[in-house]
Amino acid sequence: MKWATWENIGVDRMGCAWLILRFIDPNAEFMFVPVGGTPLPEEYELFDIPGARLTHQRGHCTFHTMVREYRLDDPILHRIASIIDEADVVQDVMVEPVAAGLDCLCQGVRRISTDDDMALERGRMLFDALYAQLAAENQA
Amino acid sequence: MTTWLLFTYKVPNEPSARRVYVWRKLKGLGAILVHDTAWVLPDTPHTREKLQWLTAEVRDMDGGEATLWEARQVFTGQDMNLAQQFIEQVDVGYRQILDELERKDADLADLAKRYQQLKRQDYFQSGLGDRVRQALIERRGSDYS
Repeated sequence: MKWATWENIGVDRMGCAWLILRFIDPNAEFMFVPVGGTPLPEEYELFDIPGARLTHQRGHCTFHTMVREYRLDDPILHRIASIIDEADVVQDVMVEPVAAGLDCLCQGVRRISTDDDMALERGRMLFDALYAQLAAENQA
Repeated sequence: MTTWLLFTYKVPNEPSARRVYVWRKLKGLGAILVHDTAWVLPDTPHTREKLQWLTAEVRDMDGGEATLWEARQVFTGQDMNLAQQFIEQVDVGYRQILDELERKDADLADLAKRYQQLKRQDYFQSGLGDRVRQALIERRGSDYS
């Protein structure tokens, strides 16, 4: 399947792309479009773009929406959704100390990558690592 | 030279919840309303991302209008003047923390949290921020002795 989102991916879009590749569509192809650019490509499933099916909903990040829409009931994914919620949306009450660090690292990965494809490829390791660590803590 | 993001918007007075929502978002980012006209933030990946979303959200509201621009100074000194306003804005909060750190019964956990919130809006690295950070670390250390 083909997926499209805004260019210059940060924590939420990087996380979503990782989620798609690992849990929804291993053969996903991604396209990154300029912000506000129209028309948006029609044969693509859009994510993290205002007005799309898969976007911010009720104050939650797009990752959160995707976990719900695709009925992924893995508790680790719900935890990651809560972390990205805090990383992506400025909140007064924080309960996920990992959030700020993850946001910072995702921005840094984009900065040292020449384009979004490279950033996505590199960012996957961050989310694999996060998933593995949370899973291990969950077992303990 | 700094690149700035300029955000303008209009939403109907009622329901007021939407006005409050937009205003809170802007204050949360530490944006400054310049001459009662445009909300301004320095252009960073973070501020750009947030303002893109806010623009889209306001446009989705019934009767909502929003524009987002990037801008650079024409007259020398404009950058410095605006940057100074951003610094002063966070310095108010930093000074309060420093004052409270003087007290014997200072709530260090709460002050550290407030420091981190201010730090996110400290786009021009105010020197006071470093002092607060140092003071917090020192107070934390002395608690063990």
